[in-house]
Amino acid sequence: MDGVWVFIGADSVIFAILFLTFMQDRHADAAVFEASRQTLNADLGGLDTLILLTSSWLVALAVQAVKRDELNRAPRYLLGGVLTGLMFVASKSTEYGQKFAVGITPATDPFYMWYFTLTGIHLAHVLLGTGLLTFAWRRSRQRRFDSGNRAVLECVASFWHLVDLLWIVLFPLLYLMRMAS
Amino acid sequence: MATDADAGPIRSTQLEPYPTDFTSWKFLAWMGPVFLAAFFGLWGVLAGNIPPFPPSASAEEVWQNYHDHRLAIMIGMTVCLSLTACYMAWGVAISQVMQRIEGPNGIWSKVEMMGATITCAPIMTACAIWATAAHEIDSITPQTAHMLYWFGWLLIDLAYLVTSFKIAGCSIVFMRDRRAKKLVPDAVSWWGWVTVASFFVVNAIPFVTTGPLAFNGVISFWIAFFTWFFWIPSMSYFIIKAVDRIKAEDAADGRRID
Repeated sequence: MDGVWVFIGADSVIFAILFLTFMQDRHADAAVFEASRQTLNADLGGLDTLILLTSSWLVALAVQAVKRDELNRAPRYLLGGVLTGLMFVASKSTEYGQKFAVGITPATDPFYMWYFTLTGIHLAHVLLGTGLLTFAWRRSRQRRFDSGNRAVLECVASFWHLVDLLWIVLFPLLYLMRMAS
Repeated sequence: MATDADAGPIRSTQLEPYPTDFTSWKFLAWMGPVFLAAFFGLWGVLAGNIPPFPPSASAEEVWQNYHDHRLAIMIGMTVCLSLTACYMAWGVAISQVMQRIEGPNGIWSKVEMMGATITCAPIMTACAIWATAAHEIDSITPQTAHMLYWFGWLLIDLAYLVTSFKIAGCSIVFMRDRRAKKLVPDAVSWWGWVTVASFFVVNAIPFVTTGPLAFNGVISFWIAFFTWFFWIPSMSYFIIKAVDRIKAEDAADGRRID
């Protein structure tokens, strides 16, 4: 399963390219990007960050439980990971709904094109990760992971940590970072 | 669910009693790099698609671009149109390698063969459309030139799912390879998944003319095309080597080698 690192590494590089391109566009159109940034709901963004950090922590606990052969605990932690993943989806849907309700779409301006693109691609990662966590949760309930057989679980967990890490960069980049005056 | 792949590598003794034409097989395996060189050099560089002329350009600007670069576009597109058939030939070579993992009745090797072949269709047609625009540029209106330019891009981009299927098939089969040293390493298979994932966003190109999702944008062009450009030589390298390895396996099994 070592090849999964190629996927994670490539995904990270692709996001790094996107972040740099975003910064380049932001620099070129600073006033529009700053004005639109101020219309984002940073509280919801902060809540999303807390949700994903909690989720990542729960998944790390699940891997630790499997390593220690505490097989009753792992499914509970993984279910927590699934539920927090779904909470993120609900939160992001609420945020999108708020934007659409006031007529903000990707066509509004270059900032919102980037906002919906970056958060949309990240949301696709969350959906994929939540699906993989559900798969891992079902397998752990069937006692198919233990300290000697945890490669699949660790691959899923690594992907989920990447999803968390990407959001930790996305949140300040989109919601918090002010243009220098 | 048990698959043919679960039974381990397919040995030559399980195949029909005809010798394998390894020379032709290897020749076809080299068609991947030939296609990439043609597509990158002719379609991309000579015809000016790397980077693409902006989708936000007006009809007059598109017309002027075709007028100014008429000969380069015509040469790039027409030669690329012909050489795109190499992708089909390469797909057959990959498909044959896949059969040595999933068996002669394996379903993904057929998806690979058909996927590689059908991938040629939108590329060839788009090249013909752009070549026609260049050829006829002095007798068509800017609006027609603009329409033909967009027609080509919509066709070459939005037909991505055919290629996604074949790349996914390769990744699935090569990851199932039970050899101690796989014919195609997992790293290439996982890069295949990255390539598949990077294609999906091009669905947005009909709706945007600027930004990361436009057909010249960082996602829809630079990432989507260049993950594929990297997958082709990576896969080619191991397919060319796989032909030699399979030949050695057959020789070890005492099978007649041509």
